[in-house]
Formats: sequence, C-alpha cells, structure tokens
Amino acid sequence: MANIVIDPVTRIEGHMRVECEVSGGVVKDAWVSGTLYRGMETVLLGRAPEDAFYVSQRICGVCPISHSHASSQATEAALGIKIPEGARLVRNILECAQYLHSHILWFYNLAALDYVSPINALKADIADTYALAQAAGTKPSDYGAVAKRLTAFAENGQLSILSGHYWDHPGYALPPELDLIATCHYLEALEMQAVANEVVAVIAGKFSHPMTSVPGGTAFVPTVDKLDDILFRLVRVKDFIDTALIPDTLAIAPFILDAATYGGGTGNFLSWGVFEKSDLVPENRYLPRGMSQGLKPEGVSPDDVTEYTNHSWYDSPTGLNPKEGETKVKFTEYNIDDKYSYGKAVRCKDLSTESGPLARMVVAYLAEKGGADIAGGADVRTPAKLIDSTLEALGVGGKPEILVSLLGRVAARNLEAAYVADLSLVFVSELIEALKGGDVQYWKAAEKDTGAGVGAWEAPRGSVAHWIGLDGGKIDHYQIVAPTTWDIAPRDDNGVRGPMEEALVGTPVEDAEKPLELLRIAHSFDP
Amino acid sequence: MAQEAHGAFYDLLAVRGVSRRDFLKYCSYVAATLGLSEAAAPQIAAALEKGSALKPALWLNGGSCTGCTESMAQVDSPDVATIVLELLSLNYFETIMAAAGEQAEKNIEDTIADGNFLLIYEGSVMTGEDGNTLLVNGHKGTEILAEAAAAAQAVISVGACAVDGGWVAAYPNPAGAVGVQAFLDKEKIATPVVNIPCCPMNPEWVVAMVVQWLLVADDDPALFLEKTALLTKSYTDGVYDAKVTLNYPEYVVESTIHDNCPRRGHFENGEFVSEFGTEEEAMGYCLYKVGCKGPQTYTQCPVTRWNRSVSWCVHSGAPCIGCGGLNWVDNNAPFFKRLSSMQFGSIGSAQPGSIAAVVGGVAAAALVAHGLGMKAAGRVGDGPPMEETTAYDRKHGAKKGGDK
Ligand code: SF4
Ligand code: SF4
Repeated sequence: MANIVIDPVTRIEGHMRVECEVSGGVVKDAWVSGTLYRGMETVLLGRAPEDAFYVSQRICGVCPISHSHASSQATEAALGIKIPEGARLVRNILECAQYLHSHILWFYNLAALDYVSPINALKADIADTYALAQAAGTKPSDYGAVAKRLTAFAENGQLSILSGHYWDHPGYALPPELDLIATCHYLEALEMQAVANEVVAVIAGKFSHPMTSVPGGTAFVPTVDKLDDILFRLVRVKDFIDTALIPDTLAIAPFILDAATYGGGTGNFLSWGVFEKSDLVPENRYLPRGMSQGLKPEGVSPDDVTEYTNHSWYDSPTGLNPKEGETKVKFTEYNIDDKYSYGKAVRCKDLSTESGPLARMVVAYLAEKGGADIAGGADVRTPAKLIDSTLEALGVGGKPEILVSLLGRVAARNLEAAYVADLSLVFVSELIEALKGGDVQYWKAAEKDTGAGVGAWEAPRGSVAHWIGLDGGKIDHYQIVAPTTWDIAPRDDNGVRGPMEEALVGTPVEDAEKPLELLRIAHSFDP
Repeated sequence: MAQEAHGAFYDLLAVRGVSRRDFLKYCSYVAATLGLSEAAAPQIAAALEKGSALKPALWLNGGSCTGCTESMAQVDSPDVATIVLELLSLNYFETIMAAAGEQAEKNIEDTIADGNFLLIYEGSVMTGEDGNTLLVNGHKGTEILAEAAAAAQAVISVGACAVDGGWVAAYPNPAGAVGVQAFLDKEKIATPVVNIPCCPMNPEWVVAMVVQWLLVADDDPALFLEKTALLTKSYTDGVYDAKVTLNYPEYVVESTIHDNCPRRGHFENGEFVSEFGTEEEAMGYCLYKVGCKGPQTYTQCPVTRWNRSVSWCVHSGAPCIGCGGLNWVDNNAPFFKRLSSMQFGSIGSAQPGSIAAVVGGVAAAALVAHGLGMKAAGRVGDGPPMEETTAYDRKHGAKKGGDK
C-alpha cells in the first residue's frame, strides 16, 4: 500500500493536506487535514456585537460577506431585531454579487487548471477554434491574440504560476481548441470576477471585507446613481455566465464523463438556506433550508450540529453543539491514527454531511420536486429546471443520482451561478420598486443588549453558522462553523470519515506521482 | 543590444494588446501614485523595458484569510497592471499556482536556491503552539518564512496581518501572531521589509511598490531602501514584547483619511449621520458620530479608493474602522463608538521628526479639542455614547472603568 501525500493543496483558501492510502491504483483510505489555526473565536470574547461582525468576516477573505451576514443574523436573533425590507434586498444583492464573483473565480481560475491545459492550447488551430466555439454556443474571443500571448509566455521559459504542474498527465483530455477557448475565458474570468466585486464595492465599500451590512440592517443607503452602478455590472456578469460559464461546462463535460463515476462522498447534504424572502423565514429562502440523505429530503436546525474533537488539535470537550462548544487549541503531533487536523469533525444529526453548491442545489431540487415554489413565482431559471435540462443535455435525463459525483459537484456550482444571476436582477428590480414607493428603511436599532442567537446561512462554498452569546452588550460566547469545516472535517469520534475524505475513497489514481484525480476532488469542494 | 531588448519588450506588449502609448500613460499613472513628478515617467518606462527575463518572486501565505490575494485580483486596469505583474515570475503562490504538493515545494526550493528574488508575504506569522499553528508538509510556517526571507532581496509584507499580526494578534488570542518585521528582527534576518497596510491591503499600492522595486532596486537592497520614499512607524509587539520599526511607502501613509475625506466639509459644518441607514448617509454627511476612525488613521484610502476606484468604506456609508493603523482591532474597537481616548500612543511616540510630533501630539490634541468644542457647541451631543473601556485599555491596564 502506497501513501500519496499532497501538501500543500494549492488553489484553495487556507492551508490543507491530503493523504491517501492507494492500492491497485485506487484510493482505499484518506485523511484530510486543515493545517492552520488562527483563533478567531477567542479574539471576539469581551467585544461588542458589531466588532464581531467586522472581525469574524475576516475568517475568510473569499466569502467574507456570508460570514458578515451570519454574524449579523446571530446578533439580530440574540437581540430580537427584524431587519427592514430595504436591508433585506440590499443584503441579497450583496450576497448575489459575492456568489457570482466566487463561482466564476472558482471555475476558471482555481478549478479549470485541473482539466484545461494552457500549454496544450498552443497547438490549437485558430480557425477550428472559432468553429468549435460556435458549435458549443460559447462566447468567442480573440483567439489569435491570446495564442500569440501564450506563445510569448511559453517561449520565455519562465512559466510563473503555471510552472511545475502535471501538464503531461493523460487526464488532460480536451482538444487543444477547447483548451484555447477555456484559457481565453480564464483571462476574461479574471476581469468578470472583478466586475462582480465592483457591485460589492458600491454597496459595501470594498472587497474583500465588506463594511456596510451591519447588525440591524445596512449602513449603505441606495440612491438612483448607485443602483445604476449596480445594475449594469450585474447584467454584464450574468451575460458572461450565460455565454461562457454554462456553455463551457457543457462543452467540457463530455471529455470528463468518468468523473461522474467517482468522488460522490457521503451523499448526506446540508443547506442552511440563503437569500431571504420578505417573511425572513429560513426554511423559505430562495435556496431553502434542508437536509437530504440518499436524495430524501428532511428538515434541519442548527441545534442538530455537533462537533467532535478527538481527532483534532483541540483540548476542548467533544460532541457538543456550538452553543456550548469551546475552541481551546492544543497541538500534539500529526498522527492519522490519532489527532491530525485543526478542523473539528462537525456533524449534522450525527451524519458526515457535505455542504456547498451541490448540497444546496440538491436540497432545492428536492423541495421543488416536492411542489415548493422556491423562487416565489419570480421569472428565473430555478434549480430543478437547470438540473433537469443539464441532465438531458448530457444524455442522462431523469437520473439525478448522477449528481452525487465529482462531475455533479462541479456542474452544480455552475448551475447555481445561473440561478443566482437571475435572482440578482429580481432583487434589484424589487429594490427599485421599493424606492419608488418611498419610505424605505435600512436599519433598526436593538432594544436590548443581552441574549443568545445563531445566524445560519450559506456562503458560496458551503454552510456557515455563527453562535453568539451577549451579556450587557458584550460577547460572552462566540463559535463559528465555517463552510469548509463541514467538507474537510476529519474523522469523528465514531471513526466515520469527513465528506472530502469519503469522496476520495474509491477514486482511481492513474499516476501516483501526479495524483491529478485527487486534486480535482479536493478542488471540487472549493475549500 | 539594448535596442533589441527594447523592441522585444514592445513586441511583447503588442502581443498583450497594449500599445506603446497606453504603456507610457500607465507609467505616468504609476509615477503619480508613487508621488513622483511626471518627469519620472520615462525613467519608469526605461526600468520596465529592461526586463526580458522576469524577476522571480514568491508569494507566501502565512496565517491569512486570503483576502489580500483576493484584493490583488481586483487591481485596476488589468491589461496594463498585468504588464507589471507579468514582469514577475510568481514561482510560488498557493492560491493561484497550478502545481501542488511536491512540485509546488520544488518551485519554492529552486527559487530560494537561485536567490535574487522578491518575497511577498500575506498573513500573520504564526508562532503559537511552538510554531505548529501553521504547517506545510510538516514544515512550520515560521521556518519557511525564515528561510525564504533570508535568501530574498527584499520583502513586501502585504496587509495588516503581515504588518503587525492584524486581527489575529488581537487580545487575548493565544495563536501567537506577529508581523513579518517583528519575526525577522527576532530571527536576526536583516532583509529589508516594506509594509503595505490595511485589511486587506490596497492592490494599487502593491503594484506601485513592485514598480518601485523594479525601477530602483537593481538587485541592490540597500539602494532600494535608500531610494524608496519610506516613512517609519514603531510599535511594541505583543508576543516578543519588543520595539519594532516598520517601513511604509510614504505615499500610502503620509496623511490621514480625515485629511482627504470627501465628507470632511460636513464634519466642519457639524452635519453628521447619527443613525445608520438614514437619509443623512445618502446625502454624504460625516460618519464621525457613528465611530469613524478616519481622523486617527493614516492611509490614502479616500485617494486611491478600492476595487478599481469604484468606492471605499466611507463612500459606501461605513465608518472607517482604522484597519490601516497599527494594532487596529484593539486600538479601534468598539468600532461604532467614539473612543474616549484616541489611541495614537503606540503609533506616534516612536516616529521620527515632524511626523511624530504631528501624529503623537499636536494633531491628537487638536482633534480632541475640536471634538470637545463641537460637543460644547451642541453639534456632536446627540450621537451614540462614548466608549469608556476598550480592549486596548484592558490589555494595557485599564484607564477607566476597571478591567472586566
Ligand atoms: S470623521 Fe470620517 S467620515 Fe467624517 S470627515 Fe473624517 S474621515 Fe470622513
Ligand atoms: S477607510 Fe479605514 S477601514 Fe476602510 S480600508 Fe481604509 S483604513 Fe481600513
């Protein structure tokens, strides 16, 4: 039995190690380790709730908006604040912009290099590339110019961020023309993610680390000018998703169909729900709250969470809900039979549970199939419509179980981007209507300063919840379960693997020196 | 020969879709950002044209949230800024590099062995749990930084975490976070460090710094320090309890946010936002009463702005929380309260010359007096209450109200 170690796993946020036991070219067992501890929860003790909003979003510079919203919701729950309608819409738009930024960046700039070879793109025939783009219905670019740029780059001999990778791995199976198309979109994606973030900047001052979506509502007050700045950018981003992201996904999928046969993981999915409706009911969000086991839907509450610490570098009691949990760091040594991660083993209803776009889309899909009108009648491409038509296009119509795979996880993220792009425009028009009606409120003050609450929400990469306890305006308890904590969880006290560990098991590895398949799986969770 | 290199450079630009004219315009923009006169533009162009080989660089992430990398991805006019960025060969950059695992480690080892590279460091240096709070393939983050920094020509530490530990160093965290300079002082590594403040740092400032490096450094770190306009600030580090002196680019930290704030006129007129989400915000009134730390924070945020100059904190209705200052969380929280004591001490006391006088003494006194005067005149009387005891007070021995 050979052990394969990937450390560092690159193209992720933070620091992570993957270790796999491989025999007969297949992964038999896997250990995923978070290798950085920063102590966020300790910093927050004794501070004011708005300080928690500003500090706690800094746990992640890629999804700070979702953390700031979860933190605000925790405070609002603790202090009994119901945010005004104007604030709901502004927050939804802000959250949409972050989703669009994050999904574009993930697909093209982080994950695509596992499938697309910019080196192979050098061999592309320019005329054939135009023909292929037209056939795939994807956005044309100036292929000749980009090819020249790539050639100059390659001839220089210094490959910069592309150096030292497994470019000769047989897993790079796209024709050079498709590699060139995707490489062009890699460059355009750098631009488009920034455009999405300009929307964040208009509302929240800057990205990363937004400033205005504060406990009680928002400090930002929209004006006609600012709405205009938001709208034209969202339209541009939505256009990129429709004309590049979605057709590219469909064009690449046939070349990696084997990815539909492994990487599924535990098949237990969690979504706290995201994008509020007017009633502010978490079960009724545009991406609803729920769980699923074996594609069977069920309800869920933050009280169902437990965190195990026996395999983690903490000297804290194990098996507690974060309401009571603590985070006391104690490093021992890296030992896969004992303690091996700074991630706690977080579980929902005691199950090893995946979170992220696949989980959200599955929960939404099942709700819709069960008759729920999740989009509230808005004229949008809903999760069920998107999933069904994609399965159809890939020749596996009516087989949603195929989603529980590496390919499903990749596709779900991109399909979610389409739904969110549509929603973002719905929220903007609702806000315009609200403004026309006058008398729009954006913030409400708290009327008390003591209480406890949880804000459970969804970041682009997964489920996020903040638990807060306030006493006389000061924080006396704070615990965060961040999105990646779900997916990169180590084993729990019962020895059950975390979702990414489980997804790695059973994966065929073609070349142990260049474990491309394992990287693809790790990246599919967007850790 | 020189002529040839010159031509090749413009061919390369043409391939990237950038005309010679755009390029020269960009050089003027960089000159302005660097606080240089228009006359420096050709000098900048000449320095950039020189390179046919790309300058090797490593971008290391310590205890970071990756926010500074994200910020870098939002840099202005990418077509032209990439020219600068593409003048670097980023041989290691965890968040965006293709390679992983062993291959990634080899990239770092080879670059260190070859020397003559620039090190960019994001995130705090994690010394807690004997350095085991950050591990990369069994190596402590501290060891990787020490090895890379000792071999580098210079270090650009980006963002509050790399500057002084940032929020990770806030009281009472046991994670043992320190800034790069504090760590290098402790390890007796003399490689020059230039710090880019804010959480995250502003990407335009980094690009300008890289240009500065390519322009004046000429593989000579001493020259780099001598010719780069730097301002120094000192503070006492919380982990080593030692005095640390930091180098900042002058153009970034020479004036306060309040000095350049578009809402300043409203401040002078006594027109304030007293509650969030109100008409006063839409009218651009001053945010001082809801806690704005612009008067005590030394950065160019209102001038450079963020996300390709689309906006910045105060523009969107948020009070500045002082993330560009030292010890920013402890010094500035609670963020929505006006602080009874303005925490200039740790920044100002050790500054050289006139800046020390201005930061530590005169300006602080003037502001407090100004604030009091306005209070007396009834202009700031109805805001949220002042906070008596801050985390800073708790850490440094309570001044009022006692410890918790
Ligand atoms: S207090 Fe803040 S908002 Fe007011 S003028 Fe000064 S920097 Fe601007
Ligand atoms: S305006 Fe203040 S809070 Fe905003 S980035 Fe600048 S220093 Fe930080």
